[in-house]
Amino acid sequence: MTRRLFAPLTLLLVLVFLIGPFLIIVAASFSAGDTLAFPPQGLSFKWILKVFTVESFRDSFVMSMFLAIGGTFAALIMGIPASYAMSRYRLPFSETVRTVVSAPIIVPGIIVGLALLRYFVVPIGVPITLALFLAHTALVLPYAVRVVSASLNNLRPDIEEAAVLLGSSRLGAFFRVVLPNIRGGILSAFILGFVTSFNQVPVSLFLSGPGVRTLPIDMLGYMEIVFDPSIAALSSLLAFLSIGIVFAAERFLGFSRYV
Amino acid sequence: MFQNRTEALALALPAAIFAALVFLVPVILLLSEGFRVADSWTFSAYADFFAQPLNRTVFLRTLKLGALVTLVAAIIGYAAAYAIVSLPAGTKGRMIGLVVLPLMISPVARTYAWIVILGRTGIVNHALMAVGLSDAPIRILFSETAVFIGLLQLFLPLMIISLVSALENLPKDVVPAARVLGANWLQVFWKIILPLTREGLVVGGTLVFTGSMTAYITPAILGGSKVLMLETLMYQQVTVANNFVAASVIAFILVVMSFAANILLKRIATARNRS
Repeated sequence: MTRRLFAPLTLLLVLVFLIGPFLIIVAASFSAGDTLAFPPQGLSFKWILKVFTVESFRDSFVMSMFLAIGGTFAALIMGIPASYAMSRYRLPFSETVRTVVSAPIIVPGIIVGLALLRYFVVPIGVPITLALFLAHTALVLPYAVRVVSASLNNLRPDIEEAAVLLGSSRLGAFFRVVLPNIRGGILSAFILGFVTSFNQVPVSLFLSGPGVRTLPIDMLGYMEIVFDPSIAALSSLLAFLSIGIVFAAERFLGFSRYV
Repeated sequence: MFQNRTEALALALPAAIFAALVFLVPVILLLSEGFRVADSWTFSAYADFFAQPLNRTVFLRTLKLGALVTLVAAIIGYAAAYAIVSLPAGTKGRMIGLVVLPLMISPVARTYAWIVILGRTGIVNHALMAVGLSDAPIRILFSETAVFIGLLQLFLPLMIISLVSALENLPKDVVPAARVLGANWLQVFWKIILPLTREGLVVGGTLVFTGSMTAYITPAILGGSKVLMLETLMYQQVTVANNFVAASVIAFILVVMSFAANILLKRIATARNRS
């Protein structure tokens, strides 16, 4: 009987260990006290509201949003044609192309950030915002290619060949036949890229300057100086944002089929 | 399959050239810095790096924490995955959802939670003092234990989902059969479950190990400058010491370890496809 209980009990403890801290952050963000403590002293919305009044949070939130949306968009613009070439054409050096395009996923992000700082920002004078944009695009590219490739491989190639045989141009067949059919995959790649880029820290560590900072980097800096519940409040807001996005994606797209 | 090579290259090259220019070239240049001292190719930077006791400590600590987190994640992961696999279909899906959920939350937020729990005015200290086990708050943050806990929480889900998919492919009758034939649970695990789920364990283990080794946020928040790991040491070398050669050496160590792990993963994946 004890054997029978052992595994479920472990699972319960594991869930407490995995989810508990998140619930504690949510509870701490409703604290009325001035320092971070648990159990929270009193109940208030003041820290949740304060998050919206901190100017640097607002700026870095806009920066992170811009990088996550713009970078993922750019990665898809390059990644969709590349995936299409790899799945539908006899592409020369196909394996090399795949390796190069998906390499950023293997190398730790901190190295990419430092490399861009050393060889783009300092010697060539590339603005930090542009370097951040390039870094985030490169980071998302492997995910975009992987998810879009998977959804292209699930689509029968003969339907676009049929379209071409029936007189459509190659480009027309792509836009009118292929694209509508891989829409779900593209949207899933976008969401995965967005969440990855938005939560990314190591890539952006070295790529920050006066007034140019991503939100997670800003949070790391803030929590070193100030010991109040506003980071908890911000963390729970962000967590609900990403859970909401992923939940909606799963609900309407069947997100997990593609990832 | 279309045959037009020019068209294929025109479609694929923008992405490849972008990744090569923005990623490959700068990273290779950065990694080469550690091998070039005073304009000649040498390993002296590596000798210098490992000659310093602090660097050796950090290197070994990173390996140790990576191994320890992987080991504990595997042990807990097996029990949790086994429990998940034995659940009825609907509950199983929901449980997997709960296990994966933390992966969607910002690692900064997830790590920050441990400050609330382990800090001076945190839950653990409250509980210890309430029970009377301690008179004053004890220091848990900025220790290897804190970093270990943070890393385990961050990467445990990856181990569990790898093991769940491995255990799902385990033939249903083998465990009861072994039990009927008189094997105890340890023998069942060691002789049946472990060999049959080895691939899932290696996949999960690689993800957890490389993830822990190359973690930045967890040691930065929970370890501080007291418990440096390779990435936080690299950050310090750049921002405090301005020592780009040492940073390049650390970068190379991290890249070698990540690549080794990924090659291992690929080997196992292709071996499975062949059989």
